[in-house]
Amino acid sequence: MSDNKQAVVEIDRSAYDFKDVENEKDFYRLKEGLNEETVLKVSEEKNDPEWMREFRLKCLKLYNEMDMPDWGPSVEGLDMDKISSYVRHKEDMKGSWEDVPEDIKNTFERLGIPQAERESLAGVGAQYDSELVYHNVKDEVAAQGVIYTDIESALRTEYADMIKSHFMKLLTPTDHKMMALHGAVWSGGSFVYVPKGVKVDIPLQSYFRLNAAGAGQFEHTLIIVDEGADLHFIEGCSAPKYNVANLHSGCVELYVGKNARLRYSTIENWSKNMYNLNSKRAIVEENGIMEWVSGSFGSHTSYLYPMTILKGDHSKMEFTGITFAGKGQNLDTGAKVVHQGVGTTSVINSKSISKDGGIGTYRSSVVIQSSAKKAKASVSCDSLMLDSISRADTIPGMDIRTDDADVGHEAKIGRISDEAVFYLMSRGLSEEDAKAMIVSGFANPVSKELPLEYAVEMNNLIKLEMGGH
Amino acid sequence: MNKNLDMRVNVLPALTYNFLHVNDSKIKEDSVGIDFLATPDAENVPEGVTVDRGVSYKEAGKLFEDAKERINVDLGIPGDPNGDTSGRDKAQAIRTGMGIDIENLMLESGALTDVFTVNEGVKTQKPIIIRYNLADGAGSLTSQIIHAKKDSEVTVIMDYTSERNASGFHGISTRLLAEEGAKINLVKTQTLGDGFIHFDDIGGACFNKGAINIVSLELGAKKSWNGCYINLCEEETQFVSNQGYLVRDSHTMDINYVADQRGKKTDVLMNVKGVLMDKAVKTYRGTLDFKSGSSGSVGDEQEDTLLLSPDVVNRSMPLILCQEEDVEGRHGATIGQLGEDLLFYINSRGIDEKEAKRLMVRAKLDSVARLIPDPEIAEKVQYYISTIV
Amino acid sequence: MSEQSLLKVKDLSVAIDGELPILHKINLDIKPGETHVLMGPNGAGKSTLGYTLMGNPHYCVTEGNILFEGQDITELSADKRAKAGMFLSFQNPYEVPGISLSSFIRNASHAQTGEPIKLLAYKKALKSSMEVLSMDEEYADRDLNVGFSGGEKKKSEILQLLMLNPKLAILDETDSGLDVDAVRTVSKGIMEYQKKKDGALLIITHSTRILESLHVDYTHVLVKGKLVHTGDASLVDEINKSGFERFVSESDAE
Repeated sequence: MSDNKQAVVEIDRSAYDFKDVENEKDFYRLKEGLNEETVLKVSEEKNDPEWMREFRLKCLKLYNEMDMPDWGPSVEGLDMDKISSYVRHKEDMKGSWEDVPEDIKNTFERLGIPQAERESLAGVGAQYDSELVYHNVKDEVAAQGVIYTDIESALRTEYADMIKSHFMKLLTPTDHKMMALHGAVWSGGSFVYVPKGVKVDIPLQSYFRLNAAGAGQFEHTLIIVDEGADLHFIEGCSAPKYNVANLHSGCVELYVGKNARLRYSTIENWSKNMYNLNSKRAIVEENGIMEWVSGSFGSHTSYLYPMTILKGDHSKMEFTGITFAGKGQNLDTGAKVVHQGVGTTSVINSKSISKDGGIGTYRSSVVIQSSAKKAKASVSCDSLMLDSISRADTIPGMDIRTDDADVGHEAKIGRISDEAVFYLMSRGLSEEDAKAMIVSGFANPVSKELPLEYAVEMNNLIKLEMGGH
Repeated sequence: MNKNLDMRVNVLPALTYNFLHVNDSKIKEDSVGIDFLATPDAENVPEGVTVDRGVSYKEAGKLFEDAKERINVDLGIPGDPNGDTSGRDKAQAIRTGMGIDIENLMLESGALTDVFTVNEGVKTQKPIIIRYNLADGAGSLTSQIIHAKKDSEVTVIMDYTSERNASGFHGISTRLLAEEGAKINLVKTQTLGDGFIHFDDIGGACFNKGAINIVSLELGAKKSWNGCYINLCEEETQFVSNQGYLVRDSHTMDINYVADQRGKKTDVLMNVKGVLMDKAVKTYRGTLDFKSGSSGSVGDEQEDTLLLSPDVVNRSMPLILCQEEDVEGRHGATIGQLGEDLLFYINSRGIDEKEAKRLMVRAKLDSVARLIPDPEIAEKVQYYISTIV
Repeated sequence: MSEQSLLKVKDLSVAIDGELPILHKINLDIKPGETHVLMGPNGAGKSTLGYTLMGNPHYCVTEGNILFEGQDITELSADKRAKAGMFLSFQNPYEVPGISLSSFIRNASHAQTGEPIKLLAYKKALKSSMEVLSMDEEYADRDLNVGFSGGEKKKSEILQLLMLNPKLAILDETDSGLDVDAVRTVSKGIMEYQKKKDGALLIITHSTRILESLHVDYTHVLVKGKLVHTGDASLVDEINKSGFERFVSESDAE
């Protein structure tokens, strides 16, 4: 029985954890360390316009002046001198799947990416280490005027000004040390523009794979959903496990126009040597809607708090997230929201599970500025402790500056009830299955927000983490 | 004696985003005059309770120093939350909500401690009352220890008051030890004048089945700090707190309450009800800390804040830290105006909006005020509330 | 009938927060001393009508108006309607910690009359009303509705009705969730109100239990937001026997 279980675990894990046959001669790898030389080298690789090169150097300077925050998980194991900021395959990005280099193609095939594209996506981008290796949008979506490409290419098109006026304007290099780092060495990622009134019926997806050991991935995602438009964007992340630290410090900037809606879903399953110090921020105009769905399963250490600025009157935000902290993981996740407009609404629903010595921290802030009359905010966070060697901490903050607001907060912490397990066992389930079922049920509010195939993937991840089958 | 105060107090047990400005609070005041270092006479001290007056702060703290290992018992696996700040106050004889800077101030200033010892098995009937009637311009720094021995029970009311327009400085340190099966009921009422700077720092520990029950009403003073740290270090210990506050004008109120749950089957209930008016600024930190080994424990924290002006600032930090599977923790907060549905219900009985608000402010604070076990002080406090709303 | 109307509802249509209308062109005429019953299946909009008549800001009048003693009160806030002599007994009364039932009623009486309340007389009246409702005296000093059972909450509402003595009382599902004994006690309270004064009643209910011992003048049937039928007390018995089916199919046939 236990042998069998072991085998199942290994097979499942292999879905993400396989290493590609490293063929180093096919890859260009920037030497480790962060200094003016390496930053200029990235800039040269990217063929940056002048302003971008200057920007990178400015960011490096800021990075050197700033400290890591004193409140989060330790990042002692992360040594920038051992991280290569830029790794790419020697072949260029392809618009056609057939032309993607064989080794990379195999990796994404094993992750099921091209299949998902054929079946249910409007467009797909795939990033391998520091560069996008593949980008494609369905013809009918492109015909609506939807732009989905890498930022570097877009910088050489009519959208160059749009990018320049939005790039790192919402999340600026002065926000925190990791954003300064990002600004200095960013590479890859996507630019999405959905024109006025265009509703993209099926999701766009980006998949990020960090394959090189001791490397950093710093992709930049810039999405502009214009007035009345509608988009669902999905992001998936994975990496094989190495014994050295890897770093992911992406930056996601989302602009949601008047009456527009953007749903941003993430299933993050980085390997457990990853420092995932990621930043995401959205600004929402009048009547716009921002929806976040976030599943955090991987990484060694995470700092992740998608932030929403409800600028326009009656704009809305909904955050649904789950974090599963297992052995060796310190996942510090949550959400931030700032209410500025009149009648703005935010709903945060968070679930977290801690097991096998994992540390799960829910951290949030709800700020209601004095201009946000008739604002409504509700936060609900539930934590589940699966044993007594783990941690589950809830650190929410609220700052309310008008009386004409309605703020509710509810937090609960607890365990799987013995009665519930007994009840399921009395119906014939093994104890392990009973617990896995209860945890899946606990996660259900999140999985039901995901497209079916991702919900299935998430449930598989939960089962895997639960050690069941 | 004149002192320059520059203290960092009410440090959040686990730090968070700096932009929220909730990680700590600063007491920074230049040349504060301090003339009184002794606690006023206590009334109704019954038989079975001994009072050692004017003991030095350090000497009095030996009670906790000697029990330090017992209080800080490590029952399980060590492990800290992200942003942990517990190291900061390790030197304290017993941790207090406001922290080590207050202890240092008491030591430096030579504050004197009155030690109330309740003998084994003694259950006092009438509350002991300590009244501070502070004159305009008064500066006082005083300290008490309430030590309830095995199976005893005591109630102590500390009432701080002055003329409405008086100014001054008032700092209090109250440390509590409830031994096996003992119960300490501590009631604090503060109706100081609008020019007062006031802090009230509490630290306590409960041994086996011991209980601490705190009722606090903070209604006056222009700047006010409250801290409370209760160690529930042994089995079936209990901490119940009921706080009420009213902050108005440009007054500020800063609170840090921590329940450190280490023993098995500990039980915590923290209720906070507050009203903010005018340009009031308030920060509330409330932490349930389920340490490893606290299996079977429960903790419940509820904060209700009524906001009555568009210019108030309300910050709330309700933390639940947890390192134990078999616990149940909950926190709820409601912050805002009077609920629309409730307002309609009251309106439908013929009471207009203004009157309904007045009624609700009084109801909120009265529900705490009525827990004061002395009718005269309860009435005084209720009258004070009625003159403001 | 020359007698002046107490409550006159003219072509009243109601919606919640600008959404689709829930009530369509309701007409009602209640004279002093009359007892009207409003019945209908779940979801017909009965409680909406009660809330609207009392002025809950959540419900918007999109058409028509409400007259009380000849005055248009459509735009008045709830406290002004209460002062004019209206009362609504809530289906789910609110819990208000920190204020006792007794002091709440005293505050409300004072707000309505503007007169100082004579404490002794007030206490006596409260005691006798509580006796009618078989309420334990200690409830007077308990916080308003806090920790009250379902039955006690309903009694607390009827107690307020007796003490505030309105000209028109609207009772919203006062019998729901009550056992037989509690229904009887609550009915006793309502009868007390009927006999004490020329008080009118609008009883909103979906069952007929509470009506068994009460005198009824008119019965209205509300289906899908429309008043589809008005009859006398005998309609209650008919509904008791055969339910709302006839009215529902009639309304569907329209």
